[in-house]
Amino acid sequence: MEYEKVYVFKPEAERPAKRRRVEPQGLQTSWQRRRQAFDQVWSVQQQAIDARLDSINSHTVDKVWQFLEQATRDGPPGRIPTGIILTGADGATGSGISKQIAERIRVGKDRRSLLSLSSSSGTNLKALLKTLILKATSRRTGSSDEDGVDDEDDELRTSRSIGPKLLNYDLQLLQDHVREHRTEQVVITFEDTEAFDSDLLSEIIELLGCWQARIPFACLFNIATSIDFLQQRLSQAAVKALAGQVFDVALSSVEVEQVCEAMFDTGKPLWIGSGLMSTMLERQHDYVISVDSFVATMKYACMSHFYANALSVFLEPDAESRDVAADHVEAVRQLDSFKTYARRLLDDHQVAVLEELLESDTALRLLVRDKVAEGRQKLSAMVQTLKVIRLVQQRLPNTPVSSMSSLYVQAMSGKLIGSPLIRSLLLTHRKTPSNIVVDLLRELMSSHTEKGTPTFSGCQELLTRLDGLIESQKHSAKPLRSEDDSQNTTLRTTVVAQKVQLSKQKSALSEQDKKYTELLGILTSGIEEIFDNNLVNPNDLVFHEIFVYDLKAPYREVFTPRPRHAIERALATPHDYLDCDCCGSGQGDEHVEATLAATQPATAVLYQLYLESGSLINASDLWQAFQAVLGDGREELEIMALFQRALAELRYLGMMKSTRTRVDHVAKVMWQGL
Amino acid sequence: MPKRKADQAAIDDDPTPRKTRRAIRDDDEPIASSQSAAAETPSGLKSILRGTPSKLNGFNSVEATPKSLRKVLFTTPLKPVNEVVQVNEETTTAVGNDRSARRKSHCILQSHDESEDEDAEADEAIAQQILGEDASEEDDEEGSTLGEPGPTTDTPTKTGKLRGRPKGRRRERTPSPAPDLIPHELYFFQNRAGGNKTSANTLPSHVLLDHDDYFARINPYEDPHAADIERLKQLHKRSFDQWIFELEEGLNICLYGYGSKRELVMEFAEYTYRQAASQKARVIVVNGYTPGLTVRDILVAVGDLIGKGVKLPAQPAAILDLLMSKLEEFTTTPPILLIIHSLDHVNLRKGITQAMIARLVAHPSISLLATCDTPNFPLLWDVSLTRQLRFLYHDATTFQPYRVEIDVVEEVNALLGRSRRRLGGKDGVAYVLKSLPENARNLFKILVEEQLALAESFEPAATIGATNSDDNLDPDDLLGASDDEAALVEEQNTPSRRARGRGRPAKKAKAAARPIARAPAVSAMEGVEYRTLYLKAVEAFVCSSELAFRTLLKEFHDHAMVESRRDAAGTERLSVPMGREELARMVVELE
Repeated sequence: MEYEKVYVFKPEAERPAKRRRVEPQGLQTSWQRRRQAFDQVWSVQQQAIDARLDSINSHTVDKVWQFLEQATRDGPPGRIPTGIILTGADGATGSGISKQIAERIRVGKDRRSLLSLSSSSGTNLKALLKTLILKATSRRTGSSDEDGVDDEDDELRTSRSIGPKLLNYDLQLLQDHVREHRTEQVVITFEDTEAFDSDLLSEIIELLGCWQARIPFACLFNIATSIDFLQQRLSQAAVKALAGQVFDVALSSVEVEQVCEAMFDTGKPLWIGSGLMSTMLERQHDYVISVDSFVATMKYACMSHFYANALSVFLEPDAESRDVAADHVEAVRQLDSFKTYARRLLDDHQVAVLEELLESDTALRLLVRDKVAEGRQKLSAMVQTLKVIRLVQQRLPNTPVSSMSSLYVQAMSGKLIGSPLIRSLLLTHRKTPSNIVVDLLRELMSSHTEKGTPTFSGCQELLTRLDGLIESQKHSAKPLRSEDDSQNTTLRTTVVAQKVQLSKQKSALSEQDKKYTELLGILTSGIEEIFDNNLVNPNDLVFHEIFVYDLKAPYREVFTPRPRHAIERALATPHDYLDCDCCGSGQGDEHVEATLAATQPATAVLYQLYLESGSLINASDLWQAFQAVLGDGREELEIMALFQRALAELRYLGMMKSTRTRVDHVAKVMWQGL
Repeated sequence: MPKRKADQAAIDDDPTPRKTRRAIRDDDEPIASSQSAAAETPSGLKSILRGTPSKLNGFNSVEATPKSLRKVLFTTPLKPVNEVVQVNEETTTAVGNDRSARRKSHCILQSHDESEDEDAEADEAIAQQILGEDASEEDDEEGSTLGEPGPTTDTPTKTGKLRGRPKGRRRERTPSPAPDLIPHELYFFQNRAGGNKTSANTLPSHVLLDHDDYFARINPYEDPHAADIERLKQLHKRSFDQWIFELEEGLNICLYGYGSKRELVMEFAEYTYRQAASQKARVIVVNGYTPGLTVRDILVAVGDLIGKGVKLPAQPAAILDLLMSKLEEFTTTPPILLIIHSLDHVNLRKGITQAMIARLVAHPSISLLATCDTPNFPLLWDVSLTRQLRFLYHDATTFQPYRVEIDVVEEVNALLGRSRRRLGGKDGVAYVLKSLPENARNLFKILVEEQLALAESFEPAATIGATNSDDNLDPDDLLGASDDEAALVEEQNTPSRRARGRGRPAKKAKAAARPIARAPAVSAMEGVEYRTLYLKAVEAFVCSSELAFRTLLKEFHDHAMVESRRDAAGTERLSVPMGREELARMVVELE
């Protein structure tokens, strides 16, 4: 089978049946339950994310749709109605718009077909047209009947064979097809407009323009640069054939924010820690990967937690109804956070409670259930508080609004408590005039009732008092100012004994202003109270290991692999992987990685010789060296076989190539660590 | 070889006295030892100590006269003591004070300017002693170094390395001066102009094993690491459950790392099959390394599995479109697992192929488990492909030999520029000729004779060119690169060199710069002009028209007996891809 090109796998029949299933042991016994828990948890989140992502561009999709609708009714005569979709630099990553439009076309009742062309569809006009026609004719419109697919095709062929024989890149074919299916519009999307050859693009547009009278075309261009650039690349005739309209698409950074918010909003049982989150965001930012990949990383984090952490079984939505195996409960007792909790109980002289927790599994189970619920609640309250922060930031003048994701990262690392960001926010707040503050307070209250963001007591009362105060001030156009507002202080310079003294002086405050200052103080302390109450350090929560996942290593290994490093390491220090007794170098040696031993695998030996040599390697000398290393007590022919195998492997790995500069030399291609 | 052994022994002997001395010191209590070291140092070296910065002075005073209270703050750790010792052993300059690898490499790179740099010179000297190369130009440059006694040129790091190394290792023989260069420094060091001196030894072709011998040797060979490799595999097998989970969640897996992952993956296939015994798992295995594999094969296999007996179009793209629409109808069934061994193999490396695989795999009903062997495989995929592939990467280093993936003998022959094709040998050509008509045989004979004549007519010139230069020219220098002219000239005539020598503009430029030395070599590498050969053939009544001539040549081309290429002037040249000796023997046989 190994020399066959492709085959369908059939297991070897002689395998004994008893080895059929490997029963899991230990903590892995709960894997099936965790699997179910994961499915439940993730499906909710996936739905939330999908909904968000769909809604981001729904407005644009609507507009594009309308545009297409209008084009079918009264398009510009002689010109192709064209939607130009500005996707931004990361346009290649998401073909979201055309996908959504295709979905609408599929669902909708209209007779409309969407054909997408990408730069790889063909390198010349002929190939491009072939692809286009092939796609159009092989596709069945959504409303057509499903049965008799092949018959239909055959019929098509026969009907075509009646008339004159047409070449397969003749648009006449498309016209026939369109007439036959009574298609109202043929929408052609150019997925990566920039990647097309400009001449080719111009040509096909001109040609489509010629056929516009016979086939109702409409075009959609995804462009990553600018319209000017597109226009520059097209020929004049092509530009004249188009009647365009521009549509904007949300940037991928916005999409990422939306995904994050969707993740935070679902009241999810598993929270991603700050370290992992920041790594993920950083990668997303540095290498604009698509939102799909970002969602996949989120998903993988979730998967890793449920797969590798047996205690995640406690996250099961109905965990309390079933009992968890005893060894899992025992594992809970080993958690660091439980140990700290136990110490705290001791410090509080609650020895009996602790004793019960240590003795009784049921008690501990209950505790875990309560504490996990409590911790999760605290975390979601914290995320709600982040929204309050953003709200305040939006309202206050001259304050940049932090993104939700960055706030989340800070909050999860516990650094937001008493951070400069919060302090400066509160300070600015103390200086704010009344018109802004009232709006802010109203918004705080409304967001509390609508979205459940945290609030402080006496909100309503404060609002009535503020309103009353402003009511009394109605004759003045100016808003009330606080005592701390810099507009209310003046700098005064006095000369005393030939020294200049600067002194701040509060201008006289009106009675209303004083009252306002007082009320503002209450509000500020109220907001501060919100922050103090709700911002927690996740690492201080009991059992945070269960509901907070913050391991960077799996993420890094799985999504940002270093294959070259892995191979180089395997060859340079085979001991790292093989863990054998023979090749292990002397402990404490400085040059652990640079040892060469006859016991090492042949390729590793050759690789190390290869590393030492220059950019050209004499094969004969290499052979001599190889022989000298492996030489003792082996047959020369056997060594030669090993040598050849090692050489072939290095070439296969792309480390060596043949050279003609010198006889019997090979060229070195890779330097370790570069 | 005996001479080298002796040299090495001499080097091994050199450091021993000092080594023991130092060893004793290291064992002693630090303070006492450094005192003794100070006492032992020769007077000439003491002056260096005095000249070195205050740290060392403070040192001495601590040990000798612990008077001032300030000095008590300084403890005397072990390391500085060693440093002192090193300074003592160092002959000149303060190289020992600054032993950072970067600094050192920097110095080495500048060794041409700073002739007093000890390390580089010492290494050059050792290399010369060992290799016994008495190149005249090097004598001019480094004669003084050679004159110096061995021990002084030897640096402490060197001796340290020699000390720990058992016999039979070869590292000392290669002139590798700095052990701890950072990667890019190493790159520049190894690529420095004129720095790459390799010997002109050639590997006699009888040393290399052919297929039969190779398999006769490698099959009974027992890897001493078999147990460790097995353990490594067991380690990977533990994550089978994880892989299944990941595949089920719609993600694909890519395994990388050194060693053939075929066996591991096949065991995984077996495992999934067993695990999902209730609902029949559908697994397609693609051996990416099989020669002549195309993406069409993969698509057809998938198509066969999805719908039996469906007529598939001829073009891969059309098949793919059909598959995608078919798959839409079958979304409910458990996904098909597509296993591709060596996804980064040359067969599948084309952009279109990868794009098609990615598109196929992006469908939720198909999951992919691929293995990649080369170190730089992620470069195959751009952003949109990565998005479609949804890969999770796992390090699956297995250390198993690429038994199936590589044809070792062919690979080595290609690497060393030996006759590449199996038919290629003289016997193969003779076999083909036997089955060809008389005319064809005659034409081939003319071609071979012409080629030999061409090669011979240029040989004397080439020899002169070679003797003019010495054996230490830069590696690009084709003519003088070897002191073994005979081998070189023969190599120039060998086909592989000629065959692969296309399109090297640098070479051409050089040839233009030195026309006298170059011209013969370049033209000797080229074959017989097409026109000339045709005229000769007509003269010999082998053929009467160009059409007939072409027909005859085509037969040769088909059997890879003739290679044709265009030279710089655009004239077509034909040659037989074989060595001169082989050609000569063939002429005799054809008579």
